[in-house]
Amino acid sequence: MPAPIRILTAVPICDGHDSAINTINLEFIRHGIEVIYLGYHRSVGDIVRAAIQEDVRAIGVSSYNGGHVEFFGEVVDLLRQRGASDIKVFGGGGGTITQDDAVAMKRKGVDKIFFAGTSLEEMTDYARAHYGKPRKKRARAKTPDMELAHKLTEIEDAVGKGKKHRRSNIEHRISKVVGFTGPGGAGKTTLIDELVLRFLNQNPKGRMAILSHDPSVVGEGALLGDRATMINSQDDRVFMRSMATRGQAGGLSPATHDCLALLAQSNFDYVIIETVGTGQEAMPFRRNGIVDLTVLVMNPDYGSRLQLQKIVMLDLADVVVVNKSDLQRARTAHTEIEQRLEQNRRDQRLIDTVAKRHRDPGVDRLFALISNQQEANK
Amino acid sequence: MSKLGQVVESVEKYNKFVLDQVKRARSDEKFGRDLLGRWNDIKAKIPATRTPTGLALPRLALPEIDEPGEIARYLFGEGLPGEFPFLNGAYREMYLEPVREVESFEKNGEPKTGKSDKKPPQAEEPTRLFSGLMLAEDTNERFHYLTQHQRTHRLSTAFDGPTLYGMDSDADGVFGKIGEGGVAIDTVEDMMRLYDGFDLGSPNFSASMTISGPAPIIMAMYIAAAKRRFGQKVVSKLRGTIQADIFKEVQAQNETIFPIEPSLRFLTDMVEFTTREMPRWYPISISGYHIGEAGSTPVQQAAYTLSNGFAYAEMFAARRIPVDQFGPRLSFFLDCGLDAEYIALARVSRRIWAIGMRDVFGAGPRAQLYKLHTQTSGRSLIAAEFKNNLTRTAAELMLAYMNATNSCHSNSADEPFTTPSEEWIRLAAHGQAILLEESGIFKHTMNMLSGSPGMKAVERAVEAAILDEFREIERLGGVLAAVEDRYQRSQIQNAAHRYEQQIYDGTRPIIGLNKYRNGEDDAPEIKLARTPRKKQQLQVDRLAKFKKQNAEKAKRALDKLADVVERGGNCFPTLLEAVEVCSLGQITGRLQEVVGRFRPMV
Repeated sequence: MPAPIRILTAVPICDGHDSAINTINLEFIRHGIEVIYLGYHRSVGDIVRAAIQEDVRAIGVSSYNGGHVEFFGEVVDLLRQRGASDIKVFGGGGGTITQDDAVAMKRKGVDKIFFAGTSLEEMTDYARAHYGKPRKKRARAKTPDMELAHKLTEIEDAVGKGKKHRRSNIEHRISKVVGFTGPGGAGKTTLIDELVLRFLNQNPKGRMAILSHDPSVVGEGALLGDRATMINSQDDRVFMRSMATRGQAGGLSPATHDCLALLAQSNFDYVIIETVGTGQEAMPFRRNGIVDLTVLVMNPDYGSRLQLQKIVMLDLADVVVVNKSDLQRARTAHTEIEQRLEQNRRDQRLIDTVAKRHRDPGVDRLFALISNQQEANK
Repeated sequence: MSKLGQVVESVEKYNKFVLDQVKRARSDEKFGRDLLGRWNDIKAKIPATRTPTGLALPRLALPEIDEPGEIARYLFGEGLPGEFPFLNGAYREMYLEPVREVESFEKNGEPKTGKSDKKPPQAEEPTRLFSGLMLAEDTNERFHYLTQHQRTHRLSTAFDGPTLYGMDSDADGVFGKIGEGGVAIDTVEDMMRLYDGFDLGSPNFSASMTISGPAPIIMAMYIAAAKRRFGQKVVSKLRGTIQADIFKEVQAQNETIFPIEPSLRFLTDMVEFTTREMPRWYPISISGYHIGEAGSTPVQQAAYTLSNGFAYAEMFAARRIPVDQFGPRLSFFLDCGLDAEYIALARVSRRIWAIGMRDVFGAGPRAQLYKLHTQTSGRSLIAAEFKNNLTRTAAELMLAYMNATNSCHSNSADEPFTTPSEEWIRLAAHGQAILLEESGIFKHTMNMLSGSPGMKAVERAVEAAILDEFREIERLGGVLAAVEDRYQRSQIQNAAHRYEQQIYDGTRPIIGLNKYRNGEDDAPEIKLARTPRKKQQLQVDRLAKFKKQNAEKAKRALDKLADVVERGGNCFPTLLEAVEVCSLGQITGRLQEVVGRFRPMV
């Protein structure tokens, strides 16, 4: 089976019209496409950076607030400047994009404009026909980030074809690898993004990588939407890659191990890996042996105390975070989890956070803990 | 239980009260007799009117009932127009021709003709044309053109994308968006240019500003601009509306710039100021329109709009602003499409609002009114065979007026393509005039189309469905918790997706698109007014000059603002000082450093 098509979709800066793109995203997924959704109100720089890091085949832009001739043109130009012209640009804007506009946009290098009344089927057919063919031999990557992005694609494709791609020489790594896992809705993504903000502020030259996972829908594609909420992570000093689980259970993808190994030896200060929302089973990345610090992010609403006994990850995590500690149940949750951790007689840390709150002291403590650990291990 | 839970209880309790009154009217003879007497008095006082063809009609139509129980059900359950619980209208008379013949209809059955000498009082024209393009002076010119023949100047302002997102025109990557889709406002000087030549303190002037995320900053700029031109005294006379609806932005329209809680705090700071200092200003327009346009069902639209309204009321009350002060300054804005719910959506909303405000918030009569502006549905208009859009809008207008909306905007048929052109704007405006002034449907008699068995059935179904939505939101912990949980967002997105599917599989017929399609392209010739690059550059240059002139002062003003926000006081007075020397983007940026940026929800 060929590897799924990866497409990035976004809505331009100063435009919040996301109704059309939401519908199109769902339709793409239903037809086996993996959609990296960047969200609305996104700058040309954010879009192009994300497209290169994610190494997508095409960028779909949905624009309803005017200025589309310039905006689409700037996306194409910046791709060209960055040496990524093999990433195609398509899009639409209902009735706001006229035939004349479309002609001008095509002249600037835009691949395809869909007009009002185009059926969803027509769009998915087009995407599959034009962005689904295997890539020809690729030109040399212009930047280290692009080279890294290309290599990650090679790994994913090779694993998809059942080839062993063993390249994980983990002795040579430089980066500290921190793994985040926990149930869906606990706020892992927001928490990571808040940590990124602190890292960028504190290390003016530091770089980090994020490997984020979202589930593939059975027999279909995947919506990889973490970037849309990770506003601080859209930065030239952050390399982010979104992966679909492609049928593997446990919260990671079959290619995760090799991708993580590559990132860990690629000159980042930190590599953060985030699993999909997981259930009660064991820590997914323990057996990889690459993760230095594991963080379990819990929601105070986990149910009864009995449920805690069943969560194997509580035995394995180095740090347990009770996020959303502003919720009524948080104090009870803290006490119950504390007692649960005491049984383990390990030096596990328990931290309460409210990741959605700006400058949350709990997130500060978590950040200090992670960076001190870094110092201690040097 | 949150206030919303209490609202559910109050409506249930009120419905039970109505049933009790019905029973009592039937069992308690004196009560029944009194009701009947009151009913006959009401009927006797209804003035008569005569149609151009000579037909005599009452100015208020009432159901033909003479049994005390049914009279109780009507008077308590629906209320006369202008009476609690306001199902039939917020005011006693709306849309009617001025009274020329004053005579009781009931007395003789045949009205006497007695011409009144008095000229009918001149009402404010209902026209409020949404406008905003290029730079402030261009929009100003358009405003003067639009109002040149009008006694009252009611301006409605659309802002460009960067302004709506609290950004300056010199921000990275927004150059092409300057002045597109609305006017570019960066500084108080732009705000002065925008309304130049209009008497902002006049009782015949009002300004409406469609902006939410940075609304408090824009409001402060408006006040500062007015003070520069007319002095401090003008502030208490300012009339107008600013949208400032944070909840619907997070639920549907995506123009939020600060996290939800600080956004709500800045809003409340502003409302506290305007209710005290600007008693004629509407500091918030609680909007379902964008929820509807984002794809919600009609019931979702009504339920989220009402619950957002109650959540704001709860917030303002918690700030100790008296309900009878802020209540009359709240207004609502709904979408009107073609689904059956629209036969009574606003009627039911008005009733629930009145009951909740009276019984949960202790509001007096003026604070119970659900004052409503309606706009016909933009989403229902399509590009294929676009002239059909005239019919769609006409049907929607009819529904809007059957719901006794206080004002209405009709969309232009060419909307699916572009900012409407003059020809189609004119046709849209005339559609309203034909319905209200030419046809006899609304101008002779209040309640002309109210109270059909079908309308009653829709009312019951819609009310039950809205209360169910309230219960779900309550179960999630109230409006704020549900919003943070993405509840409303995902419900709206699901509904939008279902709507598209229905069009695709044909279960929702759209004429000319999936039914009776002729496949011919009849798109109008489109002339677009794009903002020339030279103008965009001019705006950037002006901003640079403003920033350079005020650099020192701006730094101090921003420090002071940040300090007030950190300490938690009402920051609006400090904002009023800051806009004198700071740009919109400078203020947004500094506030975001203190309270953070909004994290989008997917």
